[in-house]
Amino acid sequence: MSEDSVAPKKSVLTPPKVLGIFALAMINVAAVLSIRNFPSMAMFGWQCIGWYIIGTVVFLIPLSLAGAELATMLSDKGGGVYAWCKEAFGEKGGFIAIFCEWSNNLVWFPTVLAFIASTLAFALSPALGSNSIYLFSVMMIAFWGTTAIAYFGENVSSKFQNYGVILGSIIPSVLIIGLGIWWATSGAAIVLPPFSLGQIVPVLDISTLPFFATVILLFAGMEMAGFHALETRNPSTDYPKAMAISAVIIFACTVLATLAIAFVIPTNELSLAAGVMQAIQYFFNAAHIPAAVAPMAVLITIGGVVSLAAWLIGPAKGLGVVAAEGNLPPVFNRTNKYGSPVAVLFIQALIGTFVSLLYVFLPSVNQAYWILSAMTVELLCIVYLLVFASLIKLRYSRPAAPRPFKIPGGMPGIWLIGGMGAIGVIFAFIVGLMPTGAFTAKETVFYVIGLLIGTFLLSVPPLIFLKLKKPSWIETGNKEG
Amino acid sequence: MNEVDTTTWTVFLILILVILLPIGWIMVVLPAEPYHVVQGEPLREAVENSGIHIVSAIDYNLPISGATGGKIYTISDINGNLFTIHTQSFDSVESRDAAIQLHNAQSAGRGKPVEDVMVVGNHIIYAKPHMSEIIRQVLPELQKKRA
Repeated sequence: MSEDSVAPKKSVLTPPKVLGIFALAMINVAAVLSIRNFPSMAMFGWQCIGWYIIGTVVFLIPLSLAGAELATMLSDKGGGVYAWCKEAFGEKGGFIAIFCEWSNNLVWFPTVLAFIASTLAFALSPALGSNSIYLFSVMMIAFWGTTAIAYFGENVSSKFQNYGVILGSIIPSVLIIGLGIWWATSGAAIVLPPFSLGQIVPVLDISTLPFFATVILLFAGMEMAGFHALETRNPSTDYPKAMAISAVIIFACTVLATLAIAFVIPTNELSLAAGVMQAIQYFFNAAHIPAAVAPMAVLITIGGVVSLAAWLIGPAKGLGVVAAEGNLPPVFNRTNKYGSPVAVLFIQALIGTFVSLLYVFLPSVNQAYWILSAMTVELLCIVYLLVFASLIKLRYSRPAAPRPFKIPGGMPGIWLIGGMGAIGVIFAFIVGLMPTGAFTAKETVFYVIGLLIGTFLLSVPPLIFLKLKKPSWIETGNKEG
Repeated sequence: MNEVDTTTWTVFLILILVILLPIGWIMVVLPAEPYHVVQGEPLREAVENSGIHIVSAIDYNLPISGATGGKIYTISDINGNLFTIHTQSFDSVESRDAAIQLHNAQSAGRGKPVEDVMVVGNHIIYAKPHMSEIIRQVLPELQKKRA
């Protein structure tokens, strides 16, 4: 690519400051708000409220506050969680955090791509959903298309995300909520039992504990705006506002839309066997507007692509900063004139394509892929544990550093917020190791050991890379044009 | 590209291996369930042989290509709690695996799907959340059908 250049020493190219409050908030909303969560959570009936409250108190609020404090404190540094954790724990801590965030993406990409392809198939012809060639083709168009958008830098990708998240996440959520309100006020029967406070308390037993990890990470991605620090116009004032706006939008849309679905579809008929669109179809048929199903499928497909874009761009930018600082070989250290880490994006796209190929065409991988999804939960827990630990440590190691947004309450406040988040993700990590469903005792042992080894393998490479690191990695990178 | 030295290739190799090893482990430890036609209703038989009460069973056909019909069972545990399980049979290994793929794509958040899937020959059994205990009771009987 002739327009590729290289990063200046110890930094990425100074990018244009194009992001304001709205764009930052939409990056987080794109990463977190997903229609496909609603039918899954609606299966829990009124209990979904209790689960959401747990996720909000233990994770969404702590991560939003931690992100706001760290992003404003370190607003002159690129790399998001890399910069935050590096400041607290040095290069190793930062590198492990960003690598876990990036490597878990590689495992997650095929599932979100398959979701995009199967949802679009619902709008075109449902039979396509079982056609491997169709699935793989659409997955690759979405994946490489999103990578291409990332190639053209923050200005293009933020516009894409702004419009996309409104079309693909917020409008469908509002439509579902509106129909739910209409349903509840039109005299139609609400299929949930009568409300009482006791109904919202989640059943916590050995069979539901693994679900805790899922609930916690329903709100994963609130740190995504932090990767765009260098492109933000007024980070000290814009970040906290963007965090607050995105958290409110995400919480309100998620809870209300889930309840709307739970009002209309009986729990025993709610299944994800034919995909989220089956629930959406039931919902719109019940509301006597079946013609809305296909357009809704298109909108939800757009929402999936936007979510993919948020997760594809953010961690890649973080890893680009790692490469620019000479912690990866020079071939990773390529930024184009738009400020995009093209080498990381390209390598990411190649690996993602390969994993998607295995996912679609290898039956054994296909059947057990959810185990790899469980691995992504463990990796994300490591990322967030490092973020919460950084939040606490920096209050001790850099107490006088300017913090335009400071979590109130002094040290007790920081321990309460950081501690609650840390305990939440540690607990999620532990229960995330517990298998659900049809596992024999022998399979359970293989599952737990395999999950731990897989998580270790996907998180440990930074330590090896730092051992292999050469001084020439920065210098060589600077020479390449 | 003079910077692409041995160390660089080592880094690439590590990146590829960290992805391939977990996938390879899955392929070895949990190979694909072989496709074979299991006659009758394997879940009903397994549930009844496990001493669990079936409250109701209604016909159910998934709107998926290759799906040939199934049931929605409502079962009751010893405490009287009711659970719902969907089953569906498929006419080919391709349609069955496509259905599994579709299910895997419906993950909640960044995790795995909230429903659990069991494969018994040409049948897929979809168990809702909260059912791990009851599934463990049924599992030994279901295993007999998988062979």
